[in-house]
Amino acid sequence: MKGRRTLLALAEVAAWWVPLAALWLVLISTVDPLELAVGAGASALTAFVARGARRAVSGR
Amino acid sequence: MNGWILAAVLVLVTGVGATLWGVAGGPLRRRATAQNLCTALACPVLLLLAQGYGRPAYVDLALVLAVLGPVGTLVFARLLADELADDPPHARGPTWTAAALGAAVVGAVAVATGPGRALVKLLVIGVLLVGGNLIASRALAGGMQEGRGD
Amino acid sequence: MTETVIVVALLLVAVAATAAVAVRDPVRQSLVLAVLGVVLAVLFTVLQAPDVGLSQLAVGSALTPLLLLLTVRKAKRRGRRAERGRSAGGDGP
Repeated sequence: MKGRRTLLALAEVAAWWVPLAALWLVLISTVDPLELAVGAGASALTAFVARGARRAVSGR
Repeated sequence: MNGWILAAVLVLVTGVGATLWGVAGGPLRRRATAQNLCTALACPVLLLLAQGYGRPAYVDLALVLAVLGPVGTLVFARLLADELADDPPHARGPTWTAAALGAAVVGAVAVATGPGRALVKLLVIGVLLVGGNLIASRALAGGMQEGRGD
Repeated sequence: MTETVIVVALLLVAVAATAAVAVRDPVRQSLVLAVLGVVLAVLFTVLQAPDVGLSQLAVGSALTPLLLLLTVRKAKRRGRRAERGRSAGGDGP
């Protein structure tokens, strides 16, 4: 049961991460590896924040 | 210098000038509407200027304004809710005119940009601009009072 | 043409700043100040200083009105409480 919940949480964070990383990719001016790495990290951080905000809004 | 800057001057004089006239006098509802329309009209101006100067980096200004303009209007809608509740500002015509102008400018600049990442960025700005301002004017008109616990 | 844009933006800034000074009520003044912030950002862009324009947008369009309105609200609330305290003290024994 607990493993399934963790899996669901991970899936949600990943689902937030994809559009956030895509947004980063669109908004930067030049695409290079360093920029991509920073974007991936920032998107991961923001994905966790987004999950927290979603949970706070839906009241759970 | 070119047509883009001429269009920017036109929108600046007619649109932003009109909102300036609206915000300088009259009742509170008129001023709040004019402030909302000012951000909705300045964003296309910034897009047109970026295209006119040939500097894609200037588009960032329009992006920031498209995000922060509706935020500012929501601040007013939230903190002036008591004063605005008596006669809420319903400005359908100007709101939709500003939204149509923003969509037209984004479309024209998108055609001039051509396909690529810049086009996607431009479309993101357009969605934020039009959607944000429609939501902001709806909040200003008192359409989002249910969740208000004060 | 470039000069025309600068002149137009300068004129708009002058009008907005004059209106901001002329309005007496702080609540209405905050609305005029928000418009002034946006027009100033356009002026900075026209003068080829988009970095200054960016910070002006961030500060002028949302932050200044928020601070002003919160201050007005707090002052009003405190004034009302002082009023109530005074009247309660007058009614008391």
